[in-house]
Amino acid sequence: MLENSVLIVDDELIVRESIRDWLEDAGYQVATAESGEEALEMIEQQDFSVMVLDIRLPGQTGIMVLEEVKAQRPWIKSIIITAYPSEQTISEAKKLGAIDYLIKPIAPDDMEKLIRETLDSVGQEPTVTTEVAVQPQPPTVEEVAVKKSFVITKGNLKSIVENLIKETELVGVKSRHGKYVYNKITSFEELRLDYDVTIAPPTKYFLPAKETLLKFKLGNESNISPVAETTPRVIIGMHPYDIKAVELLDEVFIDTNPDPNYIARRHNTTIIGVDCLNPSPNSFAPSMGTHLTKSGFDLLLTDIGTGYIVTVGSEKGAKLLTQHAQVREPTGDEIAKQQKLRDKALTKYKLSLDIPKERLPKLLQDSYDDPYWESRSENCLSCGSCVMVCPTCFCFDVKDEVSLNLVDGERSRQWDGCMLTDFAKVATGENFRHDKTSRFRHRIFRKGKYILEKYGKVGCVGCGRCATACLAEIASPLEAFNAIADSTRIKEAAIRIVKEAKVETELYTPRPAELIKVDELTPKEKVFEFRFKDGKELGQRPGQFVEVSIMGTGEAPISVSSSPTRGKTFQLAVRNVGDVTNALHNLSEGATVGIRGPFGNGFPLEALKGNDILLIAGGIGLFPLRSLIQYILDRRSAFGKVTLLFGARSPAERLFPDEIDTWNRNPEIEFHETVDRGDESWQGHVGVITTLIPKVNMDPKKTMAVVVGPPIMYRFVINELKKRELPDDNIIMSLERRMKCGVGKCGHCQINNVYVCQEGPVFSLAQLRNLREAV
Amino acid sequence: MKPKVAFFDFTGCEGCQLDALNLDGEEVVDLLNAVDIVNFREVMTERSDNYDIAFIEGSISRESEIPRLQKIREQAKIVVALGACACIGGINCLKNHVPMEEALRIVYGENAKYYDTIPARPADAVVKVDYYVRGCPPVTAELVKVIKALLLGKSPDIPNYPVCVECKMAGNVCVFERGMTCLGPVTRAGCSAICVSSGQRCWGCRGLVDEPNIDSQKDILEKYGLTVEQVVEKFKLFNTYSEVGK
Repeated sequence: MLENSVLIVDDELIVRESIRDWLEDAGYQVATAESGEEALEMIEQQDFSVMVLDIRLPGQTGIMVLEEVKAQRPWIKSIIITAYPSEQTISEAKKLGAIDYLIKPIAPDDMEKLIRETLDSVGQEPTVTTEVAVQPQPPTVEEVAVKKSFVITKGNLKSIVENLIKETELVGVKSRHGKYVYNKITSFEELRLDYDVTIAPPTKYFLPAKETLLKFKLGNESNISPVAETTPRVIIGMHPYDIKAVELLDEVFIDTNPDPNYIARRHNTTIIGVDCLNPSPNSFAPSMGTHLTKSGFDLLLTDIGTGYIVTVGSEKGAKLLTQHAQVREPTGDEIAKQQKLRDKALTKYKLSLDIPKERLPKLLQDSYDDPYWESRSENCLSCGSCVMVCPTCFCFDVKDEVSLNLVDGERSRQWDGCMLTDFAKVATGENFRHDKTSRFRHRIFRKGKYILEKYGKVGCVGCGRCATACLAEIASPLEAFNAIADSTRIKEAAIRIVKEAKVETELYTPRPAELIKVDELTPKEKVFEFRFKDGKELGQRPGQFVEVSIMGTGEAPISVSSSPTRGKTFQLAVRNVGDVTNALHNLSEGATVGIRGPFGNGFPLEALKGNDILLIAGGIGLFPLRSLIQYILDRRSAFGKVTLLFGARSPAERLFPDEIDTWNRNPEIEFHETVDRGDESWQGHVGVITTLIPKVNMDPKKTMAVVVGPPIMYRFVINELKKRELPDDNIIMSLERRMKCGVGKCGHCQINNVYVCQEGPVFSLAQLRNLREAV
Repeated sequence: MKPKVAFFDFTGCEGCQLDALNLDGEEVVDLLNAVDIVNFREVMTERSDNYDIAFIEGSISRESEIPRLQKIREQAKIVVALGACACIGGINCLKNHVPMEEALRIVYGENAKYYDTIPARPADAVVKVDYYVRGCPPVTAELVKVIKALLLGKSPDIPNYPVCVECKMAGNVCVFERGMTCLGPVTRAGCSAICVSSGQRCWGCRGLVDEPNIDSQKDILEKYGLTVEQVVEKFKLFNTYSEVGK
């Protein structure tokens, strides 16, 4: 297909010619048709990137043309032109895939701009072409090279498969109860390459349902060894949409925070793909650009009846092919046959997206409050089937298990999913996505928006497995996308969020740290001081957190309570609320724990410096905030006026009372304190924390407020600060979420599209205004 | 000090206790190294009233069982319900659908007058239960998991998601796609979908998840050809005691 080819369909000569002239001047390849019939004939012969279509045509109307194009060539982007715009026609045209419309008379600039934007929005995915360069080749092979295609006979394939069964672990598709599954292949006869779709995706060979990350021995925290499976394996018969899914997983598990377990499997696996010629009735792969692939495989087979065309995708593939088969170059007829079969397969897809996939992020963004989410999720069983069969779902949970001898232990991860009830529940009991509607919406947003924005690849490959697996028949992202598109006006594409990345090789292995001091703050809260056994410093920023491991019990995110300016040790203040924190509370000085991190962004020191600072801590919000208080006291001259407000529920629940005394007496900071409920001994202020804010004199232009407390506190404090006209950018908060892995993969801490463990836990109110699930 | 463990049976088939013995040799040794078993009538004749952890098997279906269970609760630091009958009432509760006199007559005929019975109920309808080892029979590995968690002082990690999750992990063809019906979508997982993996369906023996979508499950069962009565029957087998089976 020509990258910038435009077909203009209009019955008025003057319109056709003027648009043609503008566009040719702008560098496009332009063809024209004066009727719907002629346009469809031309599309049969030649492919176009964009069609400009008059909606009122004699004979075949514009709508009929759109219908035909949508069925036959869904990737052609259509722009409607009309002198008689009506809501009804336009909405009908959009349902049929039209991207936008222009009202006649049309300004040349508008037309050119819209076409340029439309072409820009077309992804890099290859589309099918009907222009076949048929050039007979001599049937001899000089070299099996990457990117080239060859032909093998069916007998060749049999011997390749039989050799692989002998040499390695061969995995492929088998039939089971009339459905298809990936499994170990033990004979050529059981291998199916003509299947429609498998129940579970082959991604389980890269991210198994359960896998061991670490092995350890209880009582010897230095004896922790990472475990990664390295069995060599060949997967044969992966469809292009699954290959595209693996390419997305590569982005997640290789590109940022490289995951040693995933990488080990990926390197030891050879992928032999096969073109999907019999798509599943629930698949909409062409709409997601995943029905074909030019990358991601080592070899790719197309069954052309008389044999297979094999496309070589990598050196590994080339080597495998030369080792096991006699190949020859394909003839022109064979290449044409391959193309014809692919085109035919394309016509078998019954479902398609009503809008280009590039528009999904914006579409979803505009429909966060659409009643669709609630009405459609009503029947959701929260059974997790949709996420368990999804090739692009990768969230997981991490657990410790110890054998009955109470010595040998393993830390393993297993599949988890955002559709399950407790996915976003933290140890203190809050569930940040507790209702079916928000879980249902979150999944669809991940598929259509969040993943695309974060990784640049669409989060749904259109395989249709979820739609097949969902008993309530609500899981198909396509259905959600189309329903929402139907009720929403579509505008420009979303902006990609760019973020920093860091690399750790032993991603999940904690470093041993010795507990050198424990102080009890209250019966429920203690402060622990640690030093790494290798003598290194933690190197945290105030506001960052670490993952604390008690081997055998598990791992939990704990914010660092001390400033990096206070020497080689670091302190963690911890409330006893869950298994890990309980185990931590039972430790004595001299014990060893595992530490990973520091993680997260921490408080924005650069933005704080030079400004007046208002610090507001509610309850154990003082734990993370203390790191900043210490930092500010140690770098006092870098900041303007500093005010600290602290609220506890009762006098008995005041934290760090000795330090509070020193802050109270320190002339360099202004300090106010309150308790929700006083007692006989209490002489100070009584009332919730917001009652302290009116006591503070502040210049809203040069004051930065840093607020940390329980979720309930934020709303009220924000109200109070807004009354004082503090801008959203000047209100900084640290949020609590279930940060299970700390490295932006497991999914538990996500607020909408944001991984709190990576981009948080500290946010400005301005940032949170765009995160609907945040406060 | 090794914790002292006792097993007590109430109304049930004692299959749960038998199943608890399904450990391999090494595990038995490890278990006995870790705990003292002081009451276990399936395997030993000694008895003791001094124990820390009590496993309760069976449902409560006679008046006399109530004070007995209360006494165990007073003695034990931790009470664990073992198996479907103790955890959710189980199949014993099927009799609750008929008047008690009739139930006695059906079972004992003219000897009915010698027996007493009350509507069957799970252990936690009588006393506070700390932990649950679910299923009919329970998964031995889960019993071991609970014991290990108690020894390590952490809460046992029992899933609160439905069997579908484990069924999908196992790569099974959905029971509904095989032309049968299944309670997996609302039943608590932890069994590795053992019944479905062996070609059967899920009967709901582990009880329901915390927030089951019963309405939707009923809709689905009806969609797959069951009448309302048949749908209720499905839930009754193990889940009579919970709201859905009543």
